[in-house]
Amino acid sequence: MTGMDAILQGGLQGYLVVALLLFAIGLAAVLLRRTLLMQFMGVELMLNAANVALLAFARFRGGDSQATVFYLFIIAVAACEAAVGLALVIGLYRHRDTTDSDRAASLKQ
Amino acid sequence: MFITFALITLLGALGMLLQKNVIVAGLFMVAAFFGVAGLFVLLANPVAAALQVIVYTGAIMVLVLFVIMMLNSHEEEKAQSSRPVQRWVSVALVTALAFGAVKLVLASPGLKALAQSGAALPEAMTLQKVGVTLFADHLLGFEVAGLLLLAAMIGAVALTKRNL
Repeated sequence: MTGMDAILQGGLQGYLVVALLLFAIGLAAVLLRRTLLMQFMGVELMLNAANVALLAFARFRGGDSQATVFYLFIIAVAACEAAVGLALVIGLYRHRDTTDSDRAASLKQ
Repeated sequence: MFITFALITLLGALGMLLQKNVIVAGLFMVAAFFGVAGLFVLLANPVAAALQVIVYTGAIMVLVLFVIMMLNSHEEEKAQSSRPVQRWVSVALVTALAFGAVKLVLASPGLKALAQSGAALPEAMTLQKVGVTLFADHLLGFEVAGLLLLAAMIGAVALTKRNL
C-alpha cells in the first residue's frame, strides 16, 4: 500500500492523519476564537484527537483491551473537566457579564 | 467507509471553527463526535463508539449547549482590539504543526511496518473484555476516577452556587 492509498483505505496512517488534523483544528479554535465556550469545544476536540490515535494504535496491535480502558479513563477526566470548566465560565459571567476571554485579562474587578 | 466518517469528522470540526453562531458551532461539534464514533466502529471497537455517543454527544455537548443558552451568548462579542499579529502567528503555527506532523506520519517506516503487520482486522472489542481488564489490572485507577468525578461534581456545585 502506498502512502495515499493507506490514507484513503483507512490504514494506520489514515487514522493518524485524521487525528492530527482534528488536533490542529481544535488548537486553532483555542487560539483564534475569543468566546470561552468555543475555546472549550476546541479543547474537547483535541482530547478526541488523542483518543482516535490511541484506539487506532490499539487496533493495529491486535485489538488490545488496555487501550479501551485508558479511553474510559480519558473520558472520565474529560467529563470532570467539562463540569468544572463550564462552572468557571458561569462564574465569570456572574462577575463580569461576559464570556469573552479577552475581557477577563486582569485579576482585579 | 473510512473516508466518509473521516470527512464527517473533519468537516464538522472545521464548521465549528468557522461558524459565527455558537449554538450552530455546538451542533457541528455533535456531527464531528458522531464521525469519531463511526471511526471507532471501523477500528473494531463498538464499546468505545457507544461510550463516545453516550458521553460526548449525550452528556458533554448537551451540557455545553445548555450553558450557551443559559448565558444567552449566541454571538461572539465584538473584539476590544483585533490583535492581527497574534492571529497570524497562531494561524502559521497551527498550519506548520499540521503539515509537519502529517509529513512525518507519512514518511515514517516504523508506522508503515506496523500498519502492514497489524492489517488483519482483530476480533471486535466486547464489554466483557474491557470489564475484565478494568477490574483485574486497573482497579485503583477505577476507584480514583470515581473519586475524581465526585470531586468535580461537588466543585461544580460550589463554583456556581451564589452564597454557599
